[in-house]
Amino acid sequence: MLPDQAYEALIDAVGQENVSREPVVLDGYAWQPTFNYNPELWMERPSAVVLPGSTEEVRQTILVCNEYGLKFKALSTGWCVTAAPWCEGVVILDLRRMNRILEIDEKNMYVVVEPCAIGAQIQAEVMRYGLNIHMIGAGCISSPLASATSFMGHGWDGIYMSYSPRNVLGVEWVLPSGKVLKLGTPGSGLGWFSGDGPGPSLRGIMRGAIGACGGVGVFTKCALKLFNWPGPPVVEAEGLGLDTKTELPQHFKVYLCFLPDWDSFADSMYEIGEAEIGYIINKNALGLLLSVIFPRLTRKIAKRKAIKETVDVLKNEFEIILAGNSEREISYQVEVLEDIISRNGGFLFDLGDNPLVGIFWWGLVRNYAPPILFRPGGQFMTLFGSDDSFDSQVTAARLGERIKKEWLEKDLIYDDLGDTSWMHIFENGMWGHCEVPFIFDPRNRRQVEAVMPEAIESVMASLEKNLGVGMLAMEPLIRKIASPMQGNYNKWQKEFQRIIDPRGAADSALYTGEAEIDLSTIDPNKLQKMTEIIMKNLWTESGPPR
Amino acid sequence: MTLADYERDMAGCSRCTCCKWSALSQIKSWRYAKNCPSVTKYNFHAYSGGGRLTAGLSIIKGRSELTEGVADIVYKCQLCGACDTACKIYRDDIDINEVLLEFRADCVERGQLVLEHMLMIDALKKEDNVLGEPKAARDKWAEGLGLKDVNKQRADVLLHAGCRYCYDKDLWPSIRAAVRLILSAGINLGFAGKNESCCGGRAYELGYRGEAEKYADDMLSRVKASGAITLLTCCADGYSHFRYLYPRMGRKLSVDVVHITEYLIRLIQAGRIRFQRKVPLKVTYHDPCHLGRMSEPFIPEWEGDKLLRPSSLKRAGRGGVYEQPRAALRSIPGLELVEMERIREWSWCCGAGGGVYEAYPDFCFWTAMERIDEARSAGAEALVTACPWCVRAFRDALEQAGEAFPIYDMMELVAKSIGIPEEEV
Repeated sequence: MLPDQAYEALIDAVGQENVSREPVVLDGYAWQPTFNYNPELWMERPSAVVLPGSTEEVRQTILVCNEYGLKFKALSTGWCVTAAPWCEGVVILDLRRMNRILEIDEKNMYVVVEPCAIGAQIQAEVMRYGLNIHMIGAGCISSPLASATSFMGHGWDGIYMSYSPRNVLGVEWVLPSGKVLKLGTPGSGLGWFSGDGPGPSLRGIMRGAIGACGGVGVFTKCALKLFNWPGPPVVEAEGLGLDTKTELPQHFKVYLCFLPDWDSFADSMYEIGEAEIGYIINKNALGLLLSVIFPRLTRKIAKRKAIKETVDVLKNEFEIILAGNSEREISYQVEVLEDIISRNGGFLFDLGDNPLVGIFWWGLVRNYAPPILFRPGGQFMTLFGSDDSFDSQVTAARLGERIKKEWLEKDLIYDDLGDTSWMHIFENGMWGHCEVPFIFDPRNRRQVEAVMPEAIESVMASLEKNLGVGMLAMEPLIRKIASPMQGNYNKWQKEFQRIIDPRGAADSALYTGEAEIDLSTIDPNKLQKMTEIIMKNLWTESGPPR
Repeated sequence: MTLADYERDMAGCSRCTCCKWSALSQIKSWRYAKNCPSVTKYNFHAYSGGGRLTAGLSIIKGRSELTEGVADIVYKCQLCGACDTACKIYRDDIDINEVLLEFRADCVERGQLVLEHMLMIDALKKEDNVLGEPKAARDKWAEGLGLKDVNKQRADVLLHAGCRYCYDKDLWPSIRAAVRLILSAGINLGFAGKNESCCGGRAYELGYRGEAEKYADDMLSRVKASGAITLLTCCADGYSHFRYLYPRMGRKLSVDVVHITEYLIRLIQAGRIRFQRKVPLKVTYHDPCHLGRMSEPFIPEWEGDKLLRPSSLKRAGRGGVYEQPRAALRSIPGLELVEMERIREWSWCCGAGGGVYEAYPDFCFWTAMERIDEARSAGAEALVTACPWCVRAFRDALEQAGEAFPIYDMMELVAKSIGIPEEEV
């Protein structure tokens, strides 16, 4: 229970109507079923929730937390366990009221936003200027500021718009001490156009590869790069979800590309990247796609061998959207794509006027479809997700296929025909990303309890192949295993934390926290293998394992 | 059903927050991207559709008590259904609307009452209407129209005027125009006069199930006794209640239930009425929640795992009345219809529903002014709608704000085009 004095201080900071300690309101921030390895799905109930409306109110709230020995955690849209309190005594800063688009700089192609302006809002506004913003895989309902400053940030437009850590420019950051730090040009009063100076450049400390998930303070404003949008200023679409219909604008093409195997698939990706064509590229998990469109039918046919074999044959598929500023440019891109796919032994299917073009074109550009993943089973989780060469992503996809098959046989996940991966490339194909999704019912205790063992298994498989741990790195249980195998990186993070947050005010469980795994949840045979992998890869004081 | 019966729905919430936003594929600006008045105004997650699911789960799991604070969350909601529609773009296994209704019934059963709602129910018990107006004056709006009294004469079509139209003099021209229009088309129309009562839907929405059932039974008897084959209403609330809440209470009407906008189109298509006079006006149409997404017919609760429920057996807002009002407006010569960004099943609410107009007028007026702002932004010279509660909320909100913007009940524009003199209505 929050002490009365602290409660009064919070009211002074943000106003009476913007503070609550009503248990049922607090539980709204404790319920976090997405990416939660805790089978209960309830996280710690926060001590209070506040709704700051400005940077100054954020700062005042943090100062109160410091004064009363409370911890704090900020959230934007709040989807995912990263937004939850991970320990007792946390004050949640729900940044909903900070939702503005502060500036669209058309000439210099950037937008300055607050935490709770979602991707769909920003995209709708910048498209009027012939510009577009990178959308993360979680969809347009997410906060671009949050992915840019605090967590992951991959999406299928990465081929054209890179990914969130690359796109963040100037940042306003309230440190856990209450000090306001401005990164990049805002730090020198020179506008928002650069994240790296003149002015302090701490991008690596701010978020690193995965992000500190709120463990290093609160980001209250940031500038994000914008990119060319050769489409209409307002897209008129009929329908709301999978039924969406739109007309494909001039100078756009949408293809489904099928390759015969993983090698030709990877080669095509590299070549497309090198050729610098494409606006969006995405490998979908075909079985999963069928599952979200026909969830009941898929349940009925999933056990049929012929169906699985068909999906297996077609699994090396990706969707690509080409966009040009002229007929000449789009014609060139089409020719290059046809050449690449043809040389790699594949074929492509032009969606053209097909009714599906609506969902594939606008669905991928606006990226409104991701919540449909909840449809077949109620919840999903993804494995892997370390950025590396595309060949490494293919390795991850193959590992995922093996792991998923085993869990499907145990009937612990929804049978999506076993197709495994979402994949995309960025930065001319120099980087790739792969996540292996699996679906389960959060109300099915047996399935929920299987989530953590499955995650651990994927981490072990990743580490064995030197793939890194990807987005699972945020999880304290995984950090405890992975850090000693990867140069004890968490010791360094804790050093940064000591400087940034001397009083330990931020809820930093997802930044530096470590927790013990309940070994009883792991199959004894797998436990033995896991121990072998750990022992083989442990760093010692003299350095990495030999 | 009880709140606890919806545990799987509540525990299914993934907290994706789609319930807070307009259809993501349709968002066209920063300004008009939100769909839920409640969480837009009060901001804490608990005031959203998903937040209320979690609140309900917290209550039934014994994590939280049903306090006055909880009641505040439960009742500062218009039951507009926007959250449910947004959720169902993606989900088949969650019925937010059902949870919200059960939450209210639970509040009433366990004594977490709202004073203004108690006064409405008292008024209902005394005068058979939630406005507290005398029952004896219920038929005054129809004076001089020559409507048949179904207590004495048989009519093919029984008109249910509804509480708001019966007592709100500002709205009498609309309903009188509707009656004149239908009579002029040669329809055998009647009404119950002083014997008409509230449909009971508002009582149900407030959580007073017993009262609602009593009035539903009364309505069923009246319809049956009238011998009518069609129940016509100009009240969008009543329309929704007849099609959705009545069957939910196990009291399905055995007649064709029709809203005036649907009936109008039937008459136009049959060539029985024609719009002759120009109405040179650029208007935008506000979809009333109860005529739109909330008017979908009741579908019995799916038994068992809702993950197995076919999409066709979920109420997702698609089956509301959206086209007929627009078609009628387009039929009026000289009238130009422009659309707002949030329309049809992803429409923004007027603010009046769910007892909010009565208990939290400031919240209602704020919601209404948000919509009027959107109408202005669309370039409209006036806003037209087809629900008396919406008209009332918009006009009152404008008055309170000291602003002017023409608000029309659709039948007012129809009357102008048909050429019914104002003094006759």
